[in-house]
Amino acid sequence: MTSDGPDLHTLVGAYVLDAVSADERARFSAHLAGCSACRAEIGELREAAASLGTAQAVRPRPEVREAAIKAARVTGQLAPVLSRNDLTTSRRGQASGSRAIRWVAAAAAAIAVAGGVAAGTHYADMRGQQSRPVPGTVSDVMLARDAVMRSAPVRTGGMAIVVASQRKHMAVFIAHGLRALPRTRRYELWLMGPRGERPAGLLTVSAGGMAGPAVISGVSAGDMVGLTIEPASGSLKPTSAPVVMIDGQGR
Amino acid sequence: MTGGDRGRSRAVLGGGARGAHGPARRLDGLLTDVARGDEHAYEAVYDLASGWVLGAARKVLRDPAMAEEVMQEVMLEVWRRASRFDPALGSGTAWVMTLAHRRAVDRVRSERSHADRELRAATAVIDYDDVTEAVEASLERERVRRCLASLTPLQRECVSLAYYGGYTYAEVAGLLGVPAGTVKTRMRDGLIRLRDCLGYRGCNDDIGRP
Repeated sequence: MTSDGPDLHTLVGAYVLDAVSADERARFSAHLAGCSACRAEIGELREAAASLGTAQAVRPRPEVREAAIKAARVTGQLAPVLSRNDLTTSRRGQASGSRAIRWVAAAAAAIAVAGGVAAGTHYADMRGQQSRPVPGTVSDVMLARDAVMRSAPVRTGGMAIVVASQRKHMAVFIAHGLRALPRTRRYELWLMGPRGERPAGLLTVSAGGMAGPAVISGVSAGDMVGLTIEPASGSLKPTSAPVVMIDGQGR
Repeated sequence: MTGGDRGRSRAVLGGGARGAHGPARRLDGLLTDVARGDEHAYEAVYDLASGWVLGAARKVLRDPAMAEEVMQEVMLEVWRRASRFDPALGSGTAWVMTLAHRRAVDRVRSERSHADRELRAATAVIDYDDVTEAVEASLERERVRRCLASLTPLQRECVSLAYYGGYTYAEVAGLLGVPAGTVKTRMRDGLIRLRDCLGYRGCNDDIGRP
């Protein structure tokens, strides 16, 4: 049972028939992600709806077939979506690493677009000021040959992902599903290591609990990327236990 | 089956329950190959599915040129998004037709928003028995016609206006002079009855399992 209530379920038939507004389609799609009973019903009803279409089959003009094949030849394809399981373990090596990175890069781009951030990345410094790093920094890390990725659940809710390049001493931090904080509090990033803790920026969390990508530089062996909840103006040192900690070099 | 085009007829013949959309069963495997960039597999998918897509687009859009445009767009989307096809969630046929119908509906709504009010009302008449554009009378067409006939008149109207007319449930409610809630229910009940009549009940029992 979901918090969307019985009203949304009555849309099942209309949804399968595309007899809903764009807004309703989006809402119902989002609902589907968390409702396995709906997904099962949709699956069967879609087979029935498909038959309404296939029964009306009409032979296309032979002339257009060549155009279709040619178009495909010059058109890229979407990469496969990795499952949650693919993300929870650190990966080394280029083959699986690059797949994971394509996913994370796509996720980062989606987060950036959703947060209204254009091509580059934003990160906030100690005083909450947004500053735009050199363009390409995120992809520098993502596409580094030694890039590895680790993810971990955030204790207060959500998921954090770190993509790290040991050679470049850099890490990119992304999170989604973060719990919304009161206006008096902010999430703050830290680099925590043998030499102590240093602030790595205040996160701006968009609707949907998404934050990042945040670029962290100067990462050395033994450093962990940590997230704490601080007063809104940020702190010089963490004032509470981290809600998530991920190895800054992806180990 | 008429003498006509036996080679082609395989593409329009349907089947029974899930995974038995007739010869379309092999579409699932073909789509997996397409996802890996296999162009030959894509040609096979085109030959198998383009007729279905065009047929659906024709019913929704009426205009043959527009329907053909939409068909080409949909087939290109099939190429682009093949990696998103998940056989655990349903058949390849359902996946392709979902893309097809959505795009046809989006297109007809965009066209309609520019059209006359009277013209919109005039195009609301749906004749699901229309055979003028059919390749030939197929088993699939007969099954669907028979199953549609087993719906109540209101269920059939709601499902037909939605699927073949591209109308939202709110618009169908307006066209039929029936409350929106009733239309939603009839759409669902009508689809359920179609599902049972066509034999798709229980075809996706594994969905939702982790």
